[in-house]
Amino acid sequence: MKRNSNWSILLKGLLKENPVFVLILGTCPTLATTTTVDGAFGMGIAALAVLVCSNILISLLRKVIPDSVRIPCYIVVIAGFVTIVQMIVQAFLPGLYVKLGVYLPLITVNCIILGRAEMFAGKNSVGKSALDGLGMGLGFTVALLAMSTIREVFGAASFAGIAIPFMENYKIEFLVKAPGGMLVYGCLIALVYVITKGRAPLKKSFSCAGCPNAANCQTGACEAAAEAEIEKGDA
Amino acid sequence: MKKSIRSTVVLVSICAVMAILLGLTNYFTAPIIKKNQEAAANEALLQVMPNGEGFEKMDISSFTLPKTVTEAYKEKNGGYVITLTTAGYDTGLTIMCGVNADGTVSGAVCLASKETLGKEKTYGESFVGKNAAGVEAVDTVSGATKTTTAYRNAIKDALNAAIILGGGSVDIRTPEEILADNLNTALPAGEGKFTKLFIVEVIEGIDAVYTADNGAGSVYVIGEEFIAVPTDTTSDNETVAAAQIILAASTSTDISLTDYENLPENLLSAKKTATGNYILETKGAGFGIMNDEKYIHSSGEYIRVRVSMTPEGKIIDTLTVYQAESENYGGACAKESFYGQFDGKTEETYQEIDAISGATLTTNGYLKAIENAFAAVKIFEGGNEQ
Repeated sequence: MKRNSNWSILLKGLLKENPVFVLILGTCPTLATTTTVDGAFGMGIAALAVLVCSNILISLLRKVIPDSVRIPCYIVVIAGFVTIVQMIVQAFLPGLYVKLGVYLPLITVNCIILGRAEMFAGKNSVGKSALDGLGMGLGFTVALLAMSTIREVFGAASFAGIAIPFMENYKIEFLVKAPGGMLVYGCLIALVYVITKGRAPLKKSFSCAGCPNAANCQTGACEAAAEAEIEKGDA
Repeated sequence: MKKSIRSTVVLVSICAVMAILLGLTNYFTAPIIKKNQEAAANEALLQVMPNGEGFEKMDISSFTLPKTVTEAYKEKNGGYVITLTTAGYDTGLTIMCGVNADGTVSGAVCLASKETLGKEKTYGESFVGKNAAGVEAVDTVSGATKTTTAYRNAIKDALNAAIILGGGSVDIRTPEEILADNLNTALPAGEGKFTKLFIVEVIEGIDAVYTADNGAGSVYVIGEEFIAVPTDTTSDNETVAAAQIILAASTSTDISLTDYENLPENLLSAKKTATGNYILETKGAGFGIMNDEKYIHSSGEYIRVRVSMTPEGKIIDTLTVYQAESENYGGACAKESFYGQFDGKTEETYQEIDAISGATLTTNGYLKAIENAFAAVKIFEGGNEQ
């Protein structure tokens, strides 16, 4: 049972609670870095590294950090790790560094990372937080890869920079542009919604427990309201 | 109160820990990042100096460099990378040349060009490892003489520029500039404007005479020596004084060409001096088409040459009066460096001159004009017998 729950922590990020397609977090880097597969992969891995490291450190410090200053503490930790990743990428992968540009330091303000720190690492054990970071990071990476594959293959007739000859004459260049990215993003969100039957984001652990307002809230009210919304929609 | 102190302490400690982590990472990555950035910035420079490091762009405005030099970079070990723009077959031949600290070429590439044959793309390789003398000895590419000559001259300029940038001095003046400087030094009153006197008398020991355009006087050249003679004065130098007397006494009368038969048809005019020398103007067809073994200039314009000659048929002086040859080729026949070669030549030796590179037809036309002068003098001397 314990093993099961660990697995589910890891796997939920991939689909059920995919940060990009279900939680709709980190939209900006998603649209910006998915024009090429290698850029998207680099972005995903960088975010994954920051997620795992910051989740571990924040989980370690969760009993030390006073509630009133937890957000500044999280931001310092996250910004620190992002800068470390940035320096490492710049030193060892200068090509990727140029490609990611400003989006690499912007991982600091990526909602996924602060969101996971706030919702999960601040409340759970180190092991679980690491798994959560890993799962969410993988979910982010997989989402970016899926989107970038569609955009690069159909938009630029190449995959990770390798030209696909027979696609050359059938490029949909619109897909590489920002509106094309939005379109692909929307379609993938819809697809994931269909696969998960639209239920995934309403898990209790995500909605009310993670809400900063939870203490002052009528427990379950938000969930009930959301549930009602969904049912209305379904009907 | 206790709570806020605790909050502050925790936040500050977290900041401190992260700062230490950042500092550590920076300690390891900073040198690598710096190296990467330098490598990216110097990628182009490394093409011509593969072992170079620590390139720094120089401010070249304070140096007097060959005119072709546009940019210069100093390398840590004393080398230089120099960018030059020159004209080959067309303008805009841009070359980057690396010069090692020992004055040899470390590499040369063509950055931009509008040449037709593309020989400039690989020609730079032939200079690698060569010093100034070695560069001089590199052959030009047949069929692309103009491009490769300009290329080679640019490499020479780069070597000179490297010496100058390194604090040394090189005479980078062209022969024309050196002459102008010498004349100006000899006779400053001439204000830098001199015209070469066309000499029609035999004056022993004098190589050339220049007169100031403003009438300030003349400069007599004896070998390396430039002797100024202001107007209405006589030089202390005996050779010059003797020449002055001869030149002052010189008079000439026109020869009526119709009095003679069989004169070369390209003879335009002729004069005879009181001392018996001839002054002839002839013409020759330069760059054009050869039709029935007769040169016909494509534009119908001949090269006109003035020649002075002794009755024995020895050339005293030559001058290109008019030419309309292609600017970068046969146009060189208007330069003293070309026509000055005929001084002292006879009918037997006049062909022993250096032809104009890349302008065989111009050279041939010029020689034809000189040949006509010899023929004319023979007829004048021998009357109508020939």
